[in-house]
Amino acid sequence: MANDTTYLSEIHEIRVDENSPLFDKTGLLYKEFPSDYRQIRYFTLLIVQSAPLEIKEINLLEQQISEVIKNAVKHGNQCKPEKKVRVWYSFDSSHAQLIVQDEGEGFKDLEKWNEFNRKRLEILSKQDYEGLADYVSFRTQKSDDNDGGNALFAALEYWNGGFVYNNKRNAVAMLKKFPQKKHAIG
Amino acid sequence: MELKIRKSGDNYIIDVNGEMDLYNSYKLKELVMKMLEKKVERFIINLENVDYIDSSGIGALIYICSTIKKMNFKLIITNIHGSVKKVIELTKLMGYFPITNSIEEAIQQMED
Repeated sequence: MANDTTYLSEIHEIRVDENSPLFDKTGLLYKEFPSDYRQIRYFTLLIVQSAPLEIKEINLLEQQISEVIKNAVKHGNQCKPEKKVRVWYSFDSSHAQLIVQDEGEGFKDLEKWNEFNRKRLEILSKQDYEGLADYVSFRTQKSDDNDGGNALFAALEYWNGGFVYNNKRNAVAMLKKFPQKKHAIG
Repeated sequence: MELKIRKSGDNYIIDVNGEMDLYNSYKLKELVMKMLEKKVERFIINLENVDYIDSSGIGALIYICSTIKKMNFKLIITNIHGSVKKVIELTKLMGYFPITNSIEEAIQQMED
C-alpha cells in the first residue's frame, strides 16, 4: 500500500516562542482559577460560555480548552489549590484565542514530546497500525493511570493557528481559525 | 457515565451512556478488566449515547484496546459520532481502533 504522506506534509510541532503574536493580551478577557482538579470542566464552561454558538461545534472547543486547563491544573500546578491558573481569551465567529498560564516548573519534556510525535506521524504515514501501538500515548515518569497521554496530539491538530509555549514553558498560547460561511448576496 | 452490559451470543455489549471525561473514564477500564478476569473474550463497546470524550476517555479506550489485543481477544467499538468521532480523528486513531458503524455490523465482524 502506498504511504499516506498527508501526515508528514503537515507535521506540526509544539514551538517555544515568547514573542509570538499569540501571546499578545490586548483586548483579551481574563479569568483566574485555583488548581482544583474537580472543577476543571466547570472552569472551562465559565470561559466557553462567552464563545458564539457557531464556533462551539459539538463541544469540541470546550473539550480542547478543558485539556489545556487540565494540563495547567494537574501537570503545571500539581493540583495545589493555592496555585492559580490564569486564562486570557477571546472568541468570535472566526477565531478562538487563549493563553493559559500556570505556576509550575514548565513543560520540561517538550522536546521529547516533539520527537515522540514526529515518530508517531512517521508510523501513521506508513499506516503501520501495529507499530502505532507504541506511539498512542506519551508517558513520562510522572504520568498516572488517568493521563491519556494523547491530549496534545489532538491539540496540535485542533489549534490550527498555532500552539506555542513561552520561554519558561509554563504558559501556552493557542489560536483556532474558523472558516467563514459565505452569505449569498441578493 | 452509566455502563450497562448485555449479551448477544458470545458477544458482550457494553452500552456507555453519558460523558467519557477525566472524572469517570476509569470506570469503563475497570469494568472491562473485571470482565476479562471473568474470562469474557468478545467485547463490543457501544458509544451511541456518548456525546463527549476527552483525552482520558481516549486513553481508556487505548488501554482497553491494547490489553484485549495482547490477549488475542476481540474488541469492536461502535456507533461513534459527533465530537467523539472528531476527537478520535484529531488524535489520528481511526485506523488503530477496530470500529464499525452499528452493533449489527460489529456482531457480523466478530463472526468473520
